Amino acid sequence: MEYYADIAIQIMFLMMLALSLNLLIGYTGETSMAQAAFYGVGAYTAGLLTLPVAVAGLEVATSSGVAGGQGWGFWPAAGVAVLVSFAVASAISLPALSRVRGEYLILLTLAFQLVVTQLMGSLTSVTGGAFGLTPIPPMTLFGEMLVRPSQVAAVVGLLTVLTLLICWGLGESPFGRILKGIREHESAVRAVGKNTVVPKAVVFGIAAAIAGLAGALNASYYQVAAPQSFNLDVSILAIGVVILGGVANPLGTVVAAVLLGSLKPVLDSLVGDDAIAWRGVIYGLALVLVMRYRPQGLIPEHRGPRDLVNRFRRRPETVERPSTQAPAAAKAPSPAPTSTSGPVQETAAVLTIAGMTKSFGGVKAVKDVTFDLTRGQITALVGPNGAGKTTLFNLITNTIRADEGTVSLNGVPVDGLSITGVARRGMARSFQDGRLFERLSAIDNVAMAIPGQEGENPALLALRPFRSRTRERATRQDAADLLRFVGMNQDPHTLVSDLSYGDQKLVAIARLIATGADVLLLDEPTSGVDPSAVEHVIDVIKGLRDEGKTICLVEHSVHMVERLADRAVFLDQGQVLAQGSIHELMARRELTEIYFGA
Amino acid sequence: MATRPPASPRDELTLPLLTASDVSPSLFLQLLVSGIVLGSTYALLGTSVSTIYSTTKVFHFAHAFVYTAAAYVALATASSLGLPLAVAIAAGLLVAVVLGVGIELVVYRPMRRSGADSLGIFLASLGLSIAGPNLIQIMFGPDGRGFPAGDPRLFTLGTATFTTWDVLTVVVSWALIGGVLAMRRSRWGLASIAVSANRELASAVGISPQRVHVYVFGVGSFLVGVAAVLFLLNQSATPNIGLQPVLLGFIATFLGGVGSQKGAPFAGLVLGMVVSLSGLWLAQTFQTAVIFGLLFVFLIVRPQGLFGKIAA
Repeated sequence: MEYYADIAIQIMFLMMLALSLNLLIGYTGETSMAQAAFYGVGAYTAGLLTLPVAVAGLEVATSSGVAGGQGWGFWPAAGVAVLVSFAVASAISLPALSRVRGEYLILLTLAFQLVVTQLMGSLTSVTGGAFGLTPIPPMTLFGEMLVRPSQVAAVVGLLTVLTLLICWGLGESPFGRILKGIREHESAVRAVGKNTVVPKAVVFGIAAAIAGLAGALNASYYQVAAPQSFNLDVSILAIGVVILGGVANPLGTVVAAVLLGSLKPVLDSLVGDDAIAWRGVIYGLALVLVMRYRPQGLIPEHRGPRDLVNRFRRRPETVERPSTQAPAAAKAPSPAPTSTSGPVQETAAVLTIAGMTKSFGGVKAVKDVTFDLTRGQITALVGPNGAGKTTLFNLITNTIRADEGTVSLNGVPVDGLSITGVARRGMARSFQDGRLFERLSAIDNVAMAIPGQEGENPALLALRPFRSRTRERATRQDAADLLRFVGMNQDPHTLVSDLSYGDQKLVAIARLIATGADVLLLDEPTSGVDPSAVEHVIDVIKGLRDEGKTICLVEHSVHMVERLADRAVFLDQGQVLAQGSIHELMARRELTEIYFGA
Repeated sequence: MATRPPASPRDELTLPLLTASDVSPSLFLQLLVSGIVLGSTYALLGTSVSTIYSTTKVFHFAHAFVYTAAAYVALATASSLGLPLAVAIAAGLLVAVVLGVGIELVVYRPMRRSGADSLGIFLASLGLSIAGPNLIQIMFGPDGRGFPAGDPRLFTLGTATFTTWDVLTVVVSWALIGGVLAMRRSRWGLASIAVSANRELASAVGISPQRVHVYVFGVGSFLVGVAAVLFLLNQSATPNIGLQPVLLGFIATFLGGVGSQKGAPFAGLVLGMVVSLSGLWLAQTFQTAVIFGLLFVFLIVRPQGLFGKIAA
């Protein structure tokens, strides 16, 4: 009984490490090699706080020469361990996450892991060196000291379930949606006006905090904190559990933790001393085989109880709502200072672009471009390939920094803002390549863009769980309405990767509208959409204009520009050659020659 | 955490917080010489990693396994089979190349074909780097094994001492680095630069990225094999010797600037010097912390590395 309780505790520690790591690897697509380091930070912090206070002349009986601790109780010490792990992790990850992604973070966390392991082993006066901190007092609960594995297993079990609920809840919340968006296309998350650096640093901190809690529990259970329990192998084992179980699926992590966690006791009886080495060979090879043949892991994303729940819940979100009126989300007032949806003024310049210039190396891609966008008008950028139309979109939204020139939105300069800031001021863009979140459902793609969601803040999620859920339901309803509005007639729960190209385009338009922005920049909205749906897209864009949105689009088909645009700006070799109605422009021979390459 | 290094009796370099005037010239000279030797090793490792990484963008963590395998094959050939050192070294290098290229062909290439992203390939690589050394441990045991290379001659330069093996390490490392830099002008060198700059465009002008990948994995694995053999001259091998060198290779690559061929060896040399000279003020156990600190500072101040360009 106690033997099995001990194994269960080991498995649950692994589970806590892997569940929280899955938030990082599975949901956010960032890898940390330092999960065991934070596990260790938690263990040593708790150990140092709970060790008895050294009394002068009466040395505490530590086998390793550490003078003594603070004599705290277990639970406050565990709380501090959690906070310390969170703080250290956020501090380390913030610069990495704000500047570069992927490989640099792997390298940095790997180096951090090795530093921590080495310091644990060598700062003998603080950590007790290779022997570790010992004897750390066992945890107490309601005044009773928990010594037997079965008692500890109950406490650890409870906390593991809590971890599971937290990780699951975060993953399925609007916060989790942003994390998944970052995984798919970070630039697209920023383009809909959401900050991505803070969520990444927060999730990194949360993963470390849970590891820190596991560390505190570990130290008090084994009554020792020693370097070999928190080395790189443990980090990699946790990564192995996440990958084998399935990314972004807590259920898979639980299953894989049980499988890999029970491997060692089994191998112990089979091969004795080599058990750890054999476990390494087995899960190392399993990692290779899974990545090669089944990268989604044992239990793929979107599979689990929640999935079943969704299947029964779909009805309210798919109410038939044939309407050419933009739903509430589209009309939500944007936070732009002067953007009130007042009477449509034909002449008001909403966006002013002046003297925009950009060179790539020696090539001037855009030269001194100046034009205005007017409220309630559709302006088309036309011109041959390479005229600089998409580059101009990039410059306007500051996706690429201009060499010279200014952009003002409602008279306020926005050229110093990031694309996130621009979107929040009320100007959003779509991308020629779509840049949809492919492994998310259509409804999640659109919901991502809706501004002002409380559930994107993990602190508010924790403080007001029920209110966040109600809000989320409303958000999803709005997203479903928007999808219907743009004529996306497939099940809104379909993954975007399973939708046709034309439907994906519609999702992209719905996502753009969902930002609530007043100025919409559409990069080739109808290319690839099947002809029957094109009519609908035209109606949608015109409907948005009639509500007072300011629209600018890049479009290749002259026919489409004729039908859609009130005005056209003709670009060639990065310069504005002419502006006016498309009929005026196409009547000028020199322009048609450039356009059609006569 | 303590801000002062603990005085450890084992390590004579542990003179707590020396000021500049306290630094003895003899210690400085010795650390400088050690720094050049260490830096040459790091430069070689950096060149090895950057050769592979800058062209393929694979975070080839299994390079650590290649390093370990080369060392153990050389060891087994020399001590168990009793063959001459030259044969043992050749066998180690051959295994390094075969293993490195084999991993690319058997694991990475099929994954790339089935659309795996760089994170996926890294995780597979991580799996190999775990499975491989553990297998070696099961076969050879966890204990350190030395190479029967004999005792080197000792040289003195003023107050600093160094050995034949140190000289050999410096000469061989820089000769190979020079060779790799010279090969940039060759057909294969140019092709790998082309693939690294723009894969699609390179294949459009008739360069096969697949063959270039095999080439860079071959060269990179050969270099890491050499580094492993040089390591064996001075120290004994354990199954997990590969991790640290490959980590340093990656750090040199990133600090030098991804895509810059001369960046990695230069950063490697600087890294080795800094680590060694930090011994003037810090205990040896803080070396990893110094390396981490450098990485962290660079990340904030110059994330593109010494010679790197900011990606558009």
